[in-house]
Amino acid sequence: MKRGSAELLILALLEERERHGYDIGKQIEERSDGTISFHITSLYPTLYRLESKGLIEGRWVERAGQRRRRYYRLTPGGRGTLVRQRSIWENFAKAINRVAGIKHA
Amino acid sequence: MRSVNAHIREALGSTAIDPDILDELAQHAEATYEELRAEGASEAEALARIDRLVDGWRANPGALQRVFKRPTVVAPPAASRSIASGVVADAIYGLRLLRARPGYSALTILTIALGVAAVTTLFSVAYGVLLRPLSWANGDGVVRVIESRGGKQGRVAGTMMNGSYLAWAEAPQTIEAIGGWRTGTVTLTGIGDATRTAVGMITPSMFDVLRIQPLRGRAFKPEEGRSGNGRYAILSYAMWQQQFGAREDVLNEQIVLDGTAYAVVGVMPRAFAFPTAQTQAWLPMEITSVDGPNGVKRGQIFNAVARLKSGVTAAQASAEATARAVAAPDAGPVAMSLFGARDPIQITAVDAAAAATAEVRPAILVLLIASGLLFITAIANVANMQLARATGRARELTIRAALGAGTARLSRQLLMENAIIGVTGAAIGVMLAVALHRVMPSILPAGFPRVDDITIDGRVLAFAAVLSAIASVAAGLLPMLQLRRLDLVRAMNEGSLASAGAGRSRLAVTRLLVVGSQVAVTSVLLIGAALLTRSFVAQASADRGYDPANVITATVPFPGGRSLEWRQQARARIVERIKAHPGVTHAAFSTGVPLMSAGGFVSFNFNSPFRDGVNIDAQSMRRLITPDYFGALGVRLRAGRGITDRDTLGAPTAVVVNRSFVREFLDDVPVERAVGVSLGTRALPGTAYQGDVTIVGVVDDLKQDSIEGPPQPEMFANLAQFNMANLNEGSILIVRTAGDPASYLEMLRTLIRQEDPAIALDAVMTMDQRVGESLSKPRTYAVLFGGFAVFALVIAGAGLFGVLSHSVSLRSRELAVRTALGASRSSIVAVALKQMAVAMIAGVLIGVAASMALSNNLSPFIYGVSPRDVVSFGVAPIVLLVAGIIACVVPARRVAQTDPVQVLRET
Repeated sequence: MKRGSAELLILALLEERERHGYDIGKQIEERSDGTISFHITSLYPTLYRLESKGLIEGRWVERAGQRRRRYYRLTPGGRGTLVRQRSIWENFAKAINRVAGIKHA
Repeated sequence: MRSVNAHIREALGSTAIDPDILDELAQHAEATYEELRAEGASEAEALARIDRLVDGWRANPGALQRVFKRPTVVAPPAASRSIASGVVADAIYGLRLLRARPGYSALTILTIALGVAAVTTLFSVAYGVLLRPLSWANGDGVVRVIESRGGKQGRVAGTMMNGSYLAWAEAPQTIEAIGGWRTGTVTLTGIGDATRTAVGMITPSMFDVLRIQPLRGRAFKPEEGRSGNGRYAILSYAMWQQQFGAREDVLNEQIVLDGTAYAVVGVMPRAFAFPTAQTQAWLPMEITSVDGPNGVKRGQIFNAVARLKSGVTAAQASAEATARAVAAPDAGPVAMSLFGARDPIQITAVDAAAAATAEVRPAILVLLIASGLLFITAIANVANMQLARATGRARELTIRAALGAGTARLSRQLLMENAIIGVTGAAIGVMLAVALHRVMPSILPAGFPRVDDITIDGRVLAFAAVLSAIASVAAGLLPMLQLRRLDLVRAMNEGSLASAGAGRSRLAVTRLLVVGSQVAVTSVLLIGAALLTRSFVAQASADRGYDPANVITATVPFPGGRSLEWRQQARARIVERIKAHPGVTHAAFSTGVPLMSAGGFVSFNFNSPFRDGVNIDAQSMRRLITPDYFGALGVRLRAGRGITDRDTLGAPTAVVVNRSFVREFLDDVPVERAVGVSLGTRALPGTAYQGDVTIVGVVDDLKQDSIEGPPQPEMFANLAQFNMANLNEGSILIVRTAGDPASYLEMLRTLIRQEDPAIALDAVMTMDQRVGESLSKPRTYAVLFGGFAVFALVIAGAGLFGVLSHSVSLRSRELAVRTALGASRSSIVAVALKQMAVAMIAGVLIGVAASMALSNNLSPFIYGVSPRDVVSFGVAPIVLLVAGIIACVVPARRVAQTDPVQVLRET
């Protein structure tokens, strides 16, 4: 798998709304129908790396009747990175298509 | 559930994982376990899955770390061998520190820049206008000579009379020479279109007084200042260039002014801008003797300047001039009509530059003080921000002190940092001032003296340099004083748990004091701005006795050489044709219109109609008008009738007076009783009818120039009744329109051109424009003061914000502990805001008290509001408090949203 794809996935998930770690893990699993092998053990190291880079930020939130959970959200810097990463990925996909010679009938 | 959590904690406990992260991972595992169980997995299966998860985490505990971005650490300079290299190292270190915090640095530099720009600009105005020598004076000792009689100045303020002038001009002891001048506008014909041209009428002696010689040709000869000795003119450099193409043979040419030919005898140097920069040509002026032929007394008032002999004071010159004037032939009734009083005569010589700027001096000084206050606020703000940083840097400074850096060494470092801020700020400030200077002529009110002398030169730059030095030292002083009290033990402990609750340090108190004084200064500026604004509004909306809306005014200078009869008919024709134009409701000619010319002045006596045997000495303005004048200006008729077409040449002289006339000379009787009163035969000289002048109506007072001056007694009579009116008497045209007057201007020009191409329609303006122009001074003062106040408000707001943010961040641990102990968030915010509120309220109170003491200094500039105006004094503190609340909201919200657990963990 292309390096950085996990980061891109997390940023994309956080673009919609803020989520906690468990939620992020489940979303990746569900949305990719298991095609993307993403080991759950690497989720938190990735989150902490993104946080250290300042692309996302986490904070503890307490809701009535719930345990406090750490929610992550996209920072402006993270939003910019996401936009750039997306276009890189699109170009990458186009290039693959051209090389693989998949033609539309 | 509990068991799963404990299980994971146990499993990961051996690794050095942050408890916060452990918490998060444990939750994840717990959620996974619960879901697996909910899906039907056995407990053993679920626990096995979790064990695999935990094994994965344990395999690489190093990845399970949050590394927070830390502020850029800038290493302090190494100990230096020489002072010079030490200073350079300090400078580099200072620059790196500034670069490490760009937002903070920009804010401090900008604050200084704005303060320096304000003060530098005002200083350049004050210096250029008040201190710089007059460009046309050519050296010291030029004084304006001003005559007063019975304490009253002439009808044109700052002038002197012919008798006093001639008495002194003859072999004076204290002065080298005296010269007289007045300004005029004439119609220049023969070169292109007829144009209105500003001229200076000067006595030939003026060249000696001002020590100036023409660039080409010669000065006026003494005899050319007497009538009957030919007509001569000297051209300005600009006129020579533009109208004569700088031809050398211009000296053989003639120019035609008001239909009369003048021989050109000289061209003045380019720099000669006297009396005004607009003057295009100079004509010789004659000062007539008081005693004319056939026992006629002749009066003349004009401006005069003299050159003091060296070593003579203005007071000595004044004494000589007064003594001679008293002994001069008495001008009697003429002096009465020109001054409103006969004696005692007093001649005063005052420094010419001071005289030219006397009117704006107090305004400039007040604005200079205001900008100074602003500068102080700006510096205080930077000092405060530096102080805040000093607190933040207490550890750095303490460690350096502990390692052996002396107070002097650390002071030098702080000073260098502040010098960088101060010098950069001042440089940007000067650039701003230069930019402001470009637009200065459009900012300053119309008729502001010496605008051309306002420049940014070496002196102004030196002033800015001094400001920057003051800013650097003053802004660094507080942190430096703090440095001397550096307490090693306490500083090292600051920020640790021990300091919880110790928020009220001496430093915090100092910062609150600074904020309090900023608020006080801002209050003073806001109250001043409110007073000036309310005064401006009062002046703009004051009743002037006429309605300035939808009125066009213009001067129609009739060409010379036309008979009185021709002019009377031309006026009637023009009025008729203008009124025929749709949308024009009234049109009239007059000698006197508010904000233009006051008209003539008469002095006469008559027997009181209400008190037998009492003879009344009356002085009054005299306006000669055509019948529609009152309608055109919207003047209110109070009793009797206005001026009509039946008041013609030879008919009994009908006069309308205003209420002030009734008040002053007719015992303030009800206006109806004034109608029908006879003013004797001498009230209006020049009428064809030789009998009594009779009052036919009374109108309300109208304000001639400023709204502030007391109303003057006035008389109005029909121009058509006079048979010896001067050339251009009655040449002001007033047209009232139904709609926007601007759309009628072209019609007016066309119509006048059709009447006679030799007429150069002049001074065309709507009455609203004239009123606006007359208010440009109060408007400028209000706008400048308001600008300073807003600026100070922003600075003070930023100061409040900074102090509160800082105090909140310093006290975050204390606040967190309180929250953890059960204090509500609102009570925490209240604690944070309380000290701010105390500082602000104290500042406002001090500011209000200072304004009470200072506002009397504003009284020359305010009209219609008391210097203790309750609204102004009330509004300013409210504005400040609102701004203060806005400045406090952000840090207060930050407190409310802070997670106490996080705070306690992080520190």
